[in-house]
Amino acid sequence: MAAGRLTARSDADLIQASKRGDLSAFEEIYAAHAGRMKSIAFHLLANRADAEDAVQEAFLKIYRAAGAIQFDSGLAPWIYRILLNCCYDTGRKRKRQAESPLSAEPPAIPNNVPLQLAIRRALDRIHPQYRMVFWLFEVEGFRHSEVAAILEIPEGTSKKWLFEAKRELQRLLTESRA
Amino acid sequence: MTFDCKDLERALAIPELLPDAREHAKVCDVCRRELWLWGEMSAVAPSLREDWETPDLWPKIRQTLAAQQKAAKRHSFTRRFEWRMLAGIAAALAIAVSVFMVKYSRPAPAPAAQQDSDFLTEQTLKEVEQTEAAYRASIDKLSRLVQPKLNASENPVAIAAREKLMVLDSEIVNVRSTVARNKFNAQLQADLAVLYRDKQDTLKEILQHAQSSQ
Repeated sequence: MAAGRLTARSDADLIQASKRGDLSAFEEIYAAHAGRMKSIAFHLLANRADAEDAVQEAFLKIYRAAGAIQFDSGLAPWIYRILLNCCYDTGRKRKRQAESPLSAEPPAIPNNVPLQLAIRRALDRIHPQYRMVFWLFEVEGFRHSEVAAILEIPEGTSKKWLFEAKRELQRLLTESRA
Repeated sequence: MTFDCKDLERALAIPELLPDAREHAKVCDVCRRELWLWGEMSAVAPSLREDWETPDLWPKIRQTLAAQQKAAKRHSFTRRFEWRMLAGIAAALAIAVSVFMVKYSRPAPAPAAQQDSDFLTEQTLKEVEQTEAAYRASIDKLSRLVQPKLNASENPVAIAAREKLMVLDSEIVNVRSTVARNKFNAQLQADLAVLYRDKQDTLKEILQHAQSSQ
């Protein structure tokens, strides 16, 4: 599984051990996923402190819900679904507290910025679903089957949304560089 | 297939068409740039990943989980203790209720056969009492006939008979008082009947003796 360095078997073992209160087993799960989780959370929340809070909250929820996990689609999709929900919760709270301009129109992309920065800025301007699939597939390296399991969409939809994301990004980047 | 600029988008969606798109891009600057950008987005994307050190994040999570485990254990112990206490109270209540019911509750209604049996016992007792009353009345009547002659006679048979009747009367009073406390005791009723028969026989003997001596 591209999502982690763990096999499905060891994921199951680690979760079983965690259910018994073995925090060192749970730390292994943390070590395998925390880096990618922070990155996704930062992408969604645009703030390291908020991202860390969301990851912490996600791990607390994962630990509490360890008994309920179904291994049909593996551990990773379940973990990242919990993370996304924590990020959305944190985002909603932050929006309420500070009336953050999350929904405001992102600034246009200057034509002289490096491609990496241009893509980052263009990502803010595309549809959130397309953006999420692009991020999970292209940035974090999940396979379409994993993206589909995390977002609970068909695999074909994941492929379609990725194409739409790239087409939109290409349009925005082309416009900015014209 | 003749590939031109309008086919590029379709080629990006269908990987099998990409070789044709690349051939076309060799002679088309616009499509070459588009094709380059399409590939470059995927190449650059992994560098967008944010990575930073958070040495205190796991300790915070671990500390929170350890505290939650501790609280859960405490809660579990408290709940177990509460359950034990509740179970103890429930058991004590059950015992108290059982004792109360055994001691104070009315006997359960007996089955019909048992009720019939009790009715017959009552009925039989009534008959026994009626018979005994009639029997005692007839013996008393006999005794009233015999007693004057018996009291007047000083022969040894009469004296022995008087003494026997006195003993029988005394025993009859005793047994009757016992029967009054336990009317359903058939053995006492039988003993009483034996005493009455004995008294009756004694009186008959006295009467027969008196008639034969006249």
